[in-house]
Amino acid sequence: MPRALRSSGRLLSLALACAVSGVALAEERAPQSSPPAPPQAHGPSTEHTPAEWLERMNTALNTRNYDGTFSHWQGGQVEMLRIIHRLQDGVVSERLASLDGSGREFIRTGSSLSCYLPDKRTVLVEQRPTDQSLVGFPTVNPQTANFYDIREAGHTRLNHRDTHVITVSPKDEFRYGYRLWIDDSTAMPLKSQLSDAHGHVIEQIVFASLTLSSRLADALFKPEVSTAGFQWLRNDAAPQLLPGATATAWNAMRLPPGFRMTVRSAQMLPGSAGPVDHIVFTDGFASVSVFVEPQPDSGGAVITQFATVGSSSAFSTVANGQKITAVGEVPPATVEYIASQVRAAQGASPVGARGR
Amino acid sequence: MNEELDSQLSAMFDNELPTAECELLARRLSRDEQLQARWGRYAIVGAVIRAERGVRLNAQVARRVSVVLRSEPALAGPAATGVTRVRNGMRWWQPLAGAAVAAGVAAVSILWLRTEAPSGTPSTVRLTPAVLQGGAQMHVRNGGAQSDSYVVPRPPTQPRPALVPSTELANYVVAHSMFSTPVARRNLLSAFMTSEPAASGTEEPQNNAQSTAQ
Repeated sequence: MPRALRSSGRLLSLALACAVSGVALAEERAPQSSPPAPPQAHGPSTEHTPAEWLERMNTALNTRNYDGTFSHWQGGQVEMLRIIHRLQDGVVSERLASLDGSGREFIRTGSSLSCYLPDKRTVLVEQRPTDQSLVGFPTVNPQTANFYDIREAGHTRLNHRDTHVITVSPKDEFRYGYRLWIDDSTAMPLKSQLSDAHGHVIEQIVFASLTLSSRLADALFKPEVSTAGFQWLRNDAAPQLLPGATATAWNAMRLPPGFRMTVRSAQMLPGSAGPVDHIVFTDGFASVSVFVEPQPDSGGAVITQFATVGSSSAFSTVANGQKITAVGEVPPATVEYIASQVRAAQGASPVGARGR
Repeated sequence: MNEELDSQLSAMFDNELPTAECELLARRLSRDEQLQARWGRYAIVGAVIRAERGVRLNAQVARRVSVVLRSEPALAGPAATGVTRVRNGMRWWQPLAGAAVAAGVAAVSILWLRTEAPSGTPSTVRLTPAVLQGGAQMHVRNGGAQSDSYVVPRPPTQPRPALVPSTELANYVVAHSMFSTPVARRNLLSAFMTSEPAASGTEEPQNNAQSTAQ
């Protein structure tokens, strides 16, 4: 066989060897300023349950410093993206950018979230509460197992790395399933698939390169897009409530099995005229946000809208002067169901009150 | 392209190139379009030869592969159009370490093959020269050397609504993303980043979503 043909058979080897070199380098240098320390998983797989692997993966994704490029497949389209993540001095910085086409970028620095939309010549800037206790990240708990079948599907080599393959299969059609290739040493997911209730893969992410570094320069978190002439929509101001005023507390009358409310807040969204109530429901793996805001011009008609962002779904309905929008990484029927169940709760609570 | 460079590239594919030379060549890859094109062709040939799982080639791609295979002894000439999708992405890779650049270029070439979502039930087809020469639609899967199963992604059974996020939807997506698990957040934001840009002048959700009045 000509050398080029023989050689090309090892193309993936090279790509992965490069990725390995990056990971190996990072493993030799412990993060200098990124507490808490990410999980280490050098022991045999029997030391950790599949659920523990998921938690280790989440911890790694949240606490590691990494810079990677990956492919995102969905709906017949493949795009390359780059993600850079850093936890330094307790501040999370993250940059996600499309390498193909749109040029969109998402940059998070601490509590500030910026979304650069060149196609709209717009920059959205959201300010999140700095109180981390208000953030209800979904966590895998014993109840999660009632709604998902979490298993280890075995070990395999991916990009010359040893990985655990963890499957998270939904037990009903209210949620999606995952198949995750988690790196043994770093607990980073090198590949992930999201599948519907029938097991069909509907979204896939595969890292082409991944470098774990002890330090990542600030310059890596600057947008590349030129924002000259862009409109900036900000929500820098935290919602304020006049003394003595109250606002409606919203809740869902019924929820799909396993979902519970973890966050209730009011926040300003870029361009919004007033505070928007934001409620979050989660089953420990999937989460759904519900946004409620006044819509005085609805004219009494019930208007519904549906949209998708990748495999995530959004459903919006306007009724009785309120616009209720549900967004989440769940099937369309789930967001529609949850949005339809949201009602003004008995009593009232101050805007900004948060419950868990 | 000189013989020495060709030899280096070949050694790089074999993972036999010393690390220092690998990084140098990777850097050159990041700025040499001809070299990128060659890399891309190697990638396609390699993916087909390996019968890489999940790789499905349509007739157009198959013809390209066929051409590449026929011209393989020389491996010269202009790049096959569309083989690599580096475009704006290259500007990202340039500041990266050489090895990472090489990995990125390689992956783009390989993954480009996956842009064609297969339809129907996955099947296993052994590649033969005749198949390659014929340029017919092929569906390639691994023979099953690895134990993990692989569900080939299918296209949506029903037409999806346009995936053009309005500014309002973008607000919701960004706000929600902070309450998702890390993997779900990455999926959500990635999908948002790669959804088709809105046409000029379109803005409101009515252009982007199915809308009904009851």
